[in-house]
Amino acid sequence: MEFLNLVVILVTAFLVLRRPQREKLAFRLLVFSVVLMVFLFSMATRTSLLPAVNY
Amino acid sequence: MRRNALYTILALAVLALAVVPIGTAVFVLGFIDGDSPCVMCWEQRIGMALIALIGLFILRYGPKPKYVGMGVLVAAWGVFMGMRHTAMHAARDVGQGFSLEILGAHTYTWSLFIYWVSLVLMGLLLAMTRKEDLEDRPRTLRPLEALAGIVFLVVVAGNIVQAFASTGPPPFMGQGDPVRFSFSPSHWVWSTEEWRPARISLRGRWAIDQPDTANLPSDPARGPLAPVPVLQVSRRTKIGFPLQGTPTDLAYDPATSQFLVTTQHGVYLADDTLGAMRRYTVVDAGYSVDLGRFAGAAFLDKGAVLAVGENKSFVVLQPAEQANAAANFRYFLASFDAFDELSRSRFGTVRAHMMYVLSAAYDPADHSVYTVSVPNNKVKRLVVSRFDRRDMTLSEEFTPELARDAGLDLSPKRSLNEYVVTGAAVADGALYAISAAYDTLLKIDLASHRLVAAWAIPGLSDPTGLAVKGDELYIVGASGKVWVVPSPRS
Repeated sequence: MEFLNLVVILVTAFLVLRRPQREKLAFRLLVFSVVLMVFLFSMATRTSLLPAVNY
Repeated sequence: MRRNALYTILALAVLALAVVPIGTAVFVLGFIDGDSPCVMCWEQRIGMALIALIGLFILRYGPKPKYVGMGVLVAAWGVFMGMRHTAMHAARDVGQGFSLEILGAHTYTWSLFIYWVSLVLMGLLLAMTRKEDLEDRPRTLRPLEALAGIVFLVVVAGNIVQAFASTGPPPFMGQGDPVRFSFSPSHWVWSTEEWRPARISLRGRWAIDQPDTANLPSDPARGPLAPVPVLQVSRRTKIGFPLQGTPTDLAYDPATSQFLVTTQHGVYLADDTLGAMRRYTVVDAGYSVDLGRFAGAAFLDKGAVLAVGENKSFVVLQPAEQANAAANFRYFLASFDAFDELSRSRFGTVRAHMMYVLSAAYDPADHSVYTVSVPNNKVKRLVVSRFDRRDMTLSEEFTPELARDAGLDLSPKRSLNEYVVTGAAVADGALYAISAAYDTLLKIDLASHRLVAAWAIPGLSDPTGLAVKGDELYIVGASGKVWVVPSPRS
């Protein structure tokens, strides 16, 4: 899934740099990448979502 | 001019972010050193790439609120990711960590710092943005800005190669313990382990309930040991003076013929009949080290008394005839002139790390303080911890086993870990421990680390403390009742 996310980031950066008129599409891809990152980190830490220390 | 300077700084920030953490991680640590990120490292690295990408958005489209706002959100999430990941290793022994260390810190800790710096930069960018900076049309990138974009593309491409080898295409994803990076497909491990069902929890193994002895089974016949001889109560009495709170432990000092009683935050010295109080104080448990609720009491050397909290934090008090009440205001909530506070700190344990204690004892023969862990909803283990009086630091830990010649048997599928020790005292090289579960007195030999005897004591009710006085054992309950039994050693 990290592979997929990085590919999306590469495509988004390409749009920003080489196809700046596709701003809306680039921003949607950015939001997708952010959501995917948050989801994957949460998946990986779902057995203890908060830092494992004393509070 | 000022606007160009701002964009130059931003382009340099994107370059720095792409080259230093993300580029170094893939090209140096990954391709050269063979490091392979764990799943959490991957997301932290991707988060940094996203911040750099947002930087490119701002270089191209200007500091629009949605881009700066997204940058703040990603950086804030990154700080959380860094805290979550660093917390797993931050309290280990010095130098320990996970995966590679750079300039004295491991990669996940560096990400915490980088995200924090990103947040600061986003704040500065917001503060310096003027209305005229918000452009409707895409900007034409200057050479430095274009270079930042190209470098970013190269770095992300490198990460794509590493991600394909290390994590694989969807649905495979990063792993908790990844194998070393290799360009050879024969060494690639693609896993779906993170997709397996698992219980969602906020605090995981740290979600430990505080001890509660109110509803423990008390019938000794239902305990894990059999056959357990009965030790009859010879006398009943009660604490003859008012307490703030309920008794949580008991100790006796033959040198001064005094009992020590603790309540949740109270420390009381009483005569040898428990009929009259000689001095007391109420400790401010929230001042400095959080002492929690007192659960263990013991007399130390030179008349000093020890009160140990459930969380293994402790305070050492010295009875004083002329204590400075004004100076002691900060330590106590009542009776400021009865004691001086000598020290307040914490016992650190290893095997009992994730367990509370409800007892404390002191052995003057080897200058050691003992605590016994109580089982909880996550960890069920009877751990005896010994601390050196000189530095109050852990010297030894053990989990007692049943001695072969004890004349006792463990029932099938039962364990000594079921006992909930709420009071302890040392006598003749043995630790006597009263368990509120199954109202059973345990004798643990401190040399062999074995449980050498046990006795059922019918008639107890929520015992919370134990003291040895001569040939008798005094057991105090939460209600203030005291049961006296003949010492089984006599």
